[in-house]
Amino acid sequence: MRRVSKTSPRSSIYNSNVYGLDTTGIWTCLTCGICPIECPQQVDFLNFIKEERAGKEPLEVAHLGVFTEFNELSSKLNGTKPEKSDLKIGYFPGCVDQLGLFLHDVKTDFGEITTSSLKLLDKLGIKPHILNMKCCGHDVLWQGKKDVFEKLKDHNKKYIKESGIDTLVTSCGECYRTFSKDYDLGIKVIHTSELLDKLGLKINAEVTYHDPCRLGRHMGMYDAPRKALSANGVRIKEMEHSKENALCCGVSSFMNCNEQTKALRIARMDEAAATGAKTLITTCSKCLAHFNCLKTEKDATKKYDLDVVDLTVFLARQLDGRK
Amino acid sequence: MKGSVAVVGGGIAGIQAALDLADSGYKTYLIESKPSIGGVMSQLDKTFPTNDCAMCILSPKLVETARHPNIELLGYSDVKSISGKAGDFNVKVVRKARYVDETKCTGCGTCTEKCPSKVSDEYNAGMSKRKSIYIPFAQAIPRVATIDATHCLFLTKGKCGVCKKVCGPKAVDYEQKDKEIELNVGSVVIATGFKPFDPSILKNYRFDHPDVITSLQFERLLSASGPTQGHVTKQSDGKVPKNVAFIQCVGSRNPRINRKHCSSVCCMYATKESIIAKEHDSELDITIFQIDVRAYGKNFEEFYNRAQKEYGIKYINSRPPEVIVNPDNSLSLKFEDFNTGDLVAKNFDLVVLSIGLDPADSTQALARSSGIALDDFGNIATTIENPVETSVAGIYVCGVAQGPKDIPDTVAQASAAASKAAALLSGERGTLIKERAFPDEKPLSPEPRIGVFVCHCGINIGSVVNVPNVVEYAKTLPGVAHAQEMLYACSSDSQVTIKDAIAKNNLNRVVVASCTPRTHEPLFQNTCREAGLNPYLFELANIREHCSWVHMKEKDKATEKAKAIVQMAVAKSALFQPLYKQKVSLINKAIVLGAGVAGMTAALDIANNGYHVTLIEKEKELGGMLREMTELYDGKRPADVLKDLISKVSANKNIKIMNEAKLLKVEGYLGNFRGVVLANGNEITVDFGAAVVATGARNFEPSGLFNYGSDKRIVTQAQFEKMLGTGVNAKTITMIQCVGARSKEREYCGRTCCVDAVKNAIRIKKANSSANVYVLYRDMRTYGVNEKMYETARDLGVLFIKYDADKPPKVQDSTVVVHDSMMNEDIEITSDLVVLSTPLVAGENEEINQLFKIPLDKNKFFLEAHPKLRPVDFATDGVFLCGSAQAPKLIDEAISQASAAASRACTILSRKFIETEGAISVVNEAKCIGCGTCVTVCPYNAPSLYDATVKVEEVTYTTKKSKINPAACKGCGSCAAACPAGAITAQHFSSKEIGEAIDAFDKGVKSIFIDKGVVEVTV
Repeated sequence: MRRVSKTSPRSSIYNSNVYGLDTTGIWTCLTCGICPIECPQQVDFLNFIKEERAGKEPLEVAHLGVFTEFNELSSKLNGTKPEKSDLKIGYFPGCVDQLGLFLHDVKTDFGEITTSSLKLLDKLGIKPHILNMKCCGHDVLWQGKKDVFEKLKDHNKKYIKESGIDTLVTSCGECYRTFSKDYDLGIKVIHTSELLDKLGLKINAEVTYHDPCRLGRHMGMYDAPRKALSANGVRIKEMEHSKENALCCGVSSFMNCNEQTKALRIARMDEAAATGAKTLITTCSKCLAHFNCLKTEKDATKKYDLDVVDLTVFLARQLDGRK
Repeated sequence: MKGSVAVVGGGIAGIQAALDLADSGYKTYLIESKPSIGGVMSQLDKTFPTNDCAMCILSPKLVETARHPNIELLGYSDVKSISGKAGDFNVKVVRKARYVDETKCTGCGTCTEKCPSKVSDEYNAGMSKRKSIYIPFAQAIPRVATIDATHCLFLTKGKCGVCKKVCGPKAVDYEQKDKEIELNVGSVVIATGFKPFDPSILKNYRFDHPDVITSLQFERLLSASGPTQGHVTKQSDGKVPKNVAFIQCVGSRNPRINRKHCSSVCCMYATKESIIAKEHDSELDITIFQIDVRAYGKNFEEFYNRAQKEYGIKYINSRPPEVIVNPDNSLSLKFEDFNTGDLVAKNFDLVVLSIGLDPADSTQALARSSGIALDDFGNIATTIENPVETSVAGIYVCGVAQGPKDIPDTVAQASAAASKAAALLSGERGTLIKERAFPDEKPLSPEPRIGVFVCHCGINIGSVVNVPNVVEYAKTLPGVAHAQEMLYACSSDSQVTIKDAIAKNNLNRVVVASCTPRTHEPLFQNTCREAGLNPYLFELANIREHCSWVHMKEKDKATEKAKAIVQMAVAKSALFQPLYKQKVSLINKAIVLGAGVAGMTAALDIANNGYHVTLIEKEKELGGMLREMTELYDGKRPADVLKDLISKVSANKNIKIMNEAKLLKVEGYLGNFRGVVLANGNEITVDFGAAVVATGARNFEPSGLFNYGSDKRIVTQAQFEKMLGTGVNAKTITMIQCVGARSKEREYCGRTCCVDAVKNAIRIKKANSSANVYVLYRDMRTYGVNEKMYETARDLGVLFIKYDADKPPKVQDSTVVVHDSMMNEDIEITSDLVVLSTPLVAGENEEINQLFKIPLDKNKFFLEAHPKLRPVDFATDGVFLCGSAQAPKLIDEAISQASAAASRACTILSRKFIETEGAISVVNEAKCIGCGTCVTVCPYNAPSLYDATVKVEEVTYTTKKSKINPAACKGCGSCAAACPAGAITAQHFSSKEIGEAIDAFDKGVKSIFIDKGVVEVTV
């Protein structure tokens, strides 16, 4: 592992919380969750950052804050009510439509994550109630906009309650973390990958898997996505750093887009390429966006012969008989 | 020799010629007989084939003309005569009395509002009323009032005088008289346009009936600024018509009334008007009665197809002889249905006469008085090789004054005329223009000291917004050091007041709350600059268009909104920093790619303007496709024309010819390009400031079509053209038109094929009158004055047979069977020769478009910057286009375009330096991650990527970084909006400046609030 930035958990804590000097550190932190894993004192650094950021202005937000603006606007609107349904399992597609709209230059069909997930659920005999909620609020929460988060959360909680579901399925690592840890829903929250080992596919392929920090270190879910691949015949070639040691993609709630985060992306893509696999699978749409952004750079310095796809998309394409 | 030019006529042709000349360093007088420049284009609602709003694309040109320091606008003035010789002409101009002092009038419109006298409004083609003192239309330039002396109550009866009483700036002057002045100029460009045909001459079309209107009237009915705000209604009863008929060729293609020409534009404007009418009312039933549909220009055929398929507009091949007014005063038309052979009568609610373009009487009068020759049609006479040169050396012509044509061809000719005039006077370039001198800029003190000037605009703002109230409010805003009201902020005395206030209060930011920056920002920026302030420290708050005009009935709320708008401008201006235009040196040389007739003409024109040109040709011989031709339309030998052109090009010291050469690489930008040319096996570096692409096109090989290739008696028109050079021995010749054109594979019309076929048909008949010549056609598209050739061919006995696209002729050996769609029967023609007329197709344009990053259209021809007003420009600055590389065209059109491209290139080459925009985008290198998004989104190729090594703590990697070329950036801000890393700032419109303005919006403003509730978001 190599250092790309001088962010130090200790100095962030001291500077912002003890000395009251400078809050830069709490904003440059990617909240990838690796320090709590290493910390001998088991300091809950992630919660510290989350609480410390609340109510403060971020140093910067990438993409000129357009996604944040969207959430702020959405938090002020009425939103929809759930359709009447007896279905007990709910599926929430997350923000794929917004990503698709604004990140068209990364040439990724984010909506395919939703269609793929639904195809796979259908194959498993699960007919879900599609939840047309507001954003889970992950990004605004980590950007310190707790008031916006609370409004989104209130709406979504009410929506889920009215929908009558007892299980919430999501294919997004961030939604999964947020609904599990930052909401108190009182119903079961599961990630799609937990269901996919039962598909019974026979796939002859070799891939490598990138643990998104939300699904991995934040939630400790390392095995389910791997099982979803291996149980369907896929061979996984692990990267130099994986599971709890996995490198971050650098995206961090769309806050940081700079030389440091680019260095992280290059490091991670280099590791993926070094495995010899031609497919890099992940379970977070932001990781997907970030890697594909590097791949589709105009006149890129380095070319990667890697197909970066979401787990559900990869499996559903096999189901369709596509590559 | 004088370094000045008089341009006669202020329509789009005159405007373009004047702008080109003024940009190239010549003092230019633009003389227009109407109160405002703009011509007929200003009356159009939309333009074909893109349906762009005509005024939206024209108005910026009007404003640019008015602002240009080298253009002197002589509005409401007639040219009486031109005398003298090339380089030294005397132009007698009568400046008609407006009875309003142009220098005093601010265009506020108060006089118009109060004037009691109403007269028919010619801008709306007589369908509405205007006042006797008037500004012809909202975007009029110059924006000054004119009194219509024939109707003014004071001038006719000595009563009234209201306008003088209400005029704030005291501009009305009843004593004004016509004034004759004489201009001494080096050259004259005639751009006097046309006169719409008066259909009352054709009594059978019943123009006396209120529901029989002209196409120009229909255009006004469609326009949002027209008499009915864009609602098509009948003039008789105000009801919405259910079905509309267009009758084409009213005043065109009619030898009986001495209108033998085709007017070139009517088929397309009728199509356009029909589409727009259908867009307004999808229930409307529209039928266009035509002889041939002449959709010959770029994208016209596609437009015509869309009209039929998407809009259901019906085209009937029949010209009704009369409009029948029934006893109940309803209208009907009788026409022949060729499918059944029956005579059909049908009722129509509205009949639109597609009137032609008549030569203007004033053009003919001027030509006669000044000894300029006219052609058979009454247009100013020119020749194929010199399409903009009149019979008098030094006097040039462009636009419809030379013959009917559409806007892009007019604009191209205008630039061509400018090129010729500029070449004539090249020794005098820059001698009669003056540069403005300004005092040094004051150093900017750190604290903002903002001056706010709130304009009443006569009563435009003041009668709605409580201006003193806004002034008092402005005084309370942070950073405001001075606030005052003004009756007319734009009047000349107000400029003095603003400058005094800047000096007295030591202001370092200025906000004027008045009207739109589109027209007025440069004026106030200039005032600031004269007071020693950087012009980018100025901000306009638009409280007229954005406030008083739209909230007339809510005066209190309007006042609150005006305060909010002022507050936003003040907040934004506090953050302004001085910005500077950079001066970048340039290379005053050009390259021309392709040495066909277009390329050689462009090279010669640029060289004659005094600049060095490298002419790059891939073949050994110069001449391109003209070498394959054996006769021009006027009977001249192409070889003679070529020989003359090649010898001129070869002898010109400013031209370096590189034949058997190929451009391999280009880098750089406007004014500073560097190319690598491969010639004779050597790679040679060529530096240049501008480039002209004239790479032409090639003939389509119709393999497999009509059994081409199976029998040597089946040839293409291009092959036949060659054969005619040595004589053809054939008794019966059948020509088939539209072979490989107007088809699924190639939707466009070949444009030149009809004219070529008719020309060659005439050649055969003239050589052997007993020969039988058949031309099988779908629509004969001998547009404009070429119609005369079509007539000649018919007189000589050439037989024209119309066939349907879905029943094409069949060729077996050399026998042709065609289904004559007018007779509705099959005809067999045993021929000695079958000639297939094929279109031109794009050449190797894909290599060049990569070199210059210039776009291609779907047919792989080059895509110009704008199909109407920038026909020879590319969106990439410094690169120009001409000839068949843009789309198929006739030789005279290619020559006009070539001269036009030369003129456009000379507007760059004549500069001493390239001045960049001041408010451009800049990249923060430390933040840039090198993703290249800016490169993708920029329309001007301003950002580029360079290699950089990034060291972040322990990791080092190579990446790209972006830099923006200030010479190419226009400050549009696309890159700043798209940059994911927020590394790009659009200066003067930064997120911070815009953000502060938005945040300032409702602070302290009481009565405006946004209704809570559902907000619809559309992305």
